[in-house]
Amino acid sequence: MAAIVAAQSVAAGALLGSSKGFGLASSSSRLAGAQLGVKGASNGSRVTCRTAFTIPKSRQGLLEEVERRWEAALESPLAGVEFTHEEFAEVLSKYDFSFEIGDMVKGVVFKSDYNGALIDIGAKAPAYLPMAEACIHKLRSVEEVGLYPGTEEEFVIVKDDDDNGRMILSLRKIQHELCWERCAQLLADDVVVRGTILSSNSGGFVVAVEGLRGFVPFSQISARGAQSNPEELLNKEIPLKFLEVDEERTRLVLSNRKATFAESQSAFGIGSVVVGTVQTVKPYGAFIDIGGVSGLLHISQISHDRLTSVETVLSPGDKLKVMVLSQDKDRGRISLSTKKLEPTPGDMLRNPQLVYEKADEMAKTFRQRVAQAEAAARAEELRLQQFQEVGFGVGNDFSTVADDLGIDNLESLNASVEETAV
Amino acid sequence: MKQKSWNINLEEVMQVGVHFGHQARKWNPKMASYIFTERKGIHILNLTQTARFLSEACDLLANASSKGKQVLIVGTKYQAADLVASASIKARCHYINQKWLGGMLTNWSTIEKRLQRFKDLENKEKTGVLNQLPKKEAATLKRQLVQLRKYLGGIKYMTSLPDIVIIIDQQKEITAINECITLGIPTICLVDTDCDPDLTDIPIPANDDARASIRWILNKLTLAISEGRYNSIETE
Repeated sequence: MAAIVAAQSVAAGALLGSSKGFGLASSSSRLAGAQLGVKGASNGSRVTCRTAFTIPKSRQGLLEEVERRWEAALESPLAGVEFTHEEFAEVLSKYDFSFEIGDMVKGVVFKSDYNGALIDIGAKAPAYLPMAEACIHKLRSVEEVGLYPGTEEEFVIVKDDDDNGRMILSLRKIQHELCWERCAQLLADDVVVRGTILSSNSGGFVVAVEGLRGFVPFSQISARGAQSNPEELLNKEIPLKFLEVDEERTRLVLSNRKATFAESQSAFGIGSVVVGTVQTVKPYGAFIDIGGVSGLLHISQISHDRLTSVETVLSPGDKLKVMVLSQDKDRGRISLSTKKLEPTPGDMLRNPQLVYEKADEMAKTFRQRVAQAEAAARAEELRLQQFQEVGFGVGNDFSTVADDLGIDNLESLNASVEETAV
Repeated sequence: MKQKSWNINLEEVMQVGVHFGHQARKWNPKMASYIFTERKGIHILNLTQTARFLSEACDLLANASSKGKQVLIVGTKYQAADLVASASIKARCHYINQKWLGGMLTNWSTIEKRLQRFKDLENKEKTGVLNQLPKKEAATLKRQLVQLRKYLGGIKYMTSLPDIVIIIDQQKEITAINECITLGIPTICLVDTDCDPDLTDIPIPANDDARASIRWILNKLTLAISEGRYNSIETE
């Protein structure tokens, strides 16, 4: 055993001598790897006595060879190396990489754990995609988004490298932008979407639609009693249409009424009488719920007589018949009237019951009158047209002129004019 | 000791990103001689030295494997795990790519017993004995088999201590390095700017974080091993 140790110390001694080589500034002797174990080296390095085992003879040969090679590498640093120091220095700048925050990078997923995924983007170290940043919706594992080991995807860098050179990526940002674009498109196409009601505040409801959060004011909800007890509607899915999509100001306003209006639009023609219940009473009129959709009965349309306040005539819960005046599809509004239904002006105030009974009759008369008025208007228009045709003023058609001149068509006229000109 | 050219092409190496080190403030001063310069707060390793050490390591491996020595590759990082497995299978050497169990080399006798059990269970599964057992026993044995396969799958055919050990990340496999030092097994290790080159016998200064870099170096080393073995078969 002593011989072996002695042999090693000889080798070590040789090492001590050869402190030349590539700038071994730190220590004068270098005892590497296995030698450390054997010698129980101290020498100021942090490795202390390790002579727990003796090295079997068979392994000696290999150790010696290794040591020799290491020495050789240090002594002849460029032997067998195909490029020189200078070449390396030159090419160095060519292969720099720089990733800034906000860059879009392509990366390959190679491992996903419970909290995120590791992605290889070609930088010094692989980048990390935390679960929270993987998707707008809540996830349980990154595989739900489709990030299996081996998939290649585009990501955006959100945080620069920490000490390990590791960057944090995000998919969420990209998805956010896509969602806003989609919403803008849906607004333009006027499509009905479905959204879930998340919570309510003083002005309306917060809904989740297309992965984003939007706002629906109370006035745009067509469900009964939405304002009085909003808790009923929590977590329900309702059809919605986009009213406003503004990404810069993060404004996303939707309307329920507009969406349901479209469905029930065909039910009411202008001039039809429907039974309705008073929903709310406002200073400027009352909201009547007719068949699920609410319409406005303006204060001026209630009766021929002048009214000061609506509360005297109507109160929430009253049933009455109203006539549909007009429908505004774009804003989902229906205008109603009871004025036209009064047999004698002022009846609404004095005798609502009578109005109720006579409603159908009055509506019919109203419709007749409307039809008459329309016919009259059309006749008037026709007359005006004929008047024009007689020749008063430059007519729209040259046919009369041509007939007078006795020419078959105008083209030949033009052609002859040209010929004569030439 | 023939000086063979291992085709270490500068362009290729740099493209892969071998020369990037860790951030400048996280370095180990012992690596001073291997560092070329600092750029944008990151240390750059000297590729000439990398190439030199790498070619030396390849020669060593070729020589050793031609004499029939056993090689063990250790790499448990996320990035390296599957690369180590595929490289070792190609080069027909042993590997450890899941957790390095403490005492794997210094307590080799115990590990050997586990390997016996592993072989035993595999036989049982192959011959179908497991299917004849009651459900619960079969399930327990199968679970054991899965565990053994996961941790010891790479060293299934190892009969004694390896002769050379290749280690991918020094910081992560510090237990492995210490065991090799204690036993006097020479090691070849990828050292990054935050590692200690004195702990290993042949350090290869390289980037140990990026997958591409690890893959490239492993390719070279396993190529050397295969070549050595091929030569030995030829000369026989």
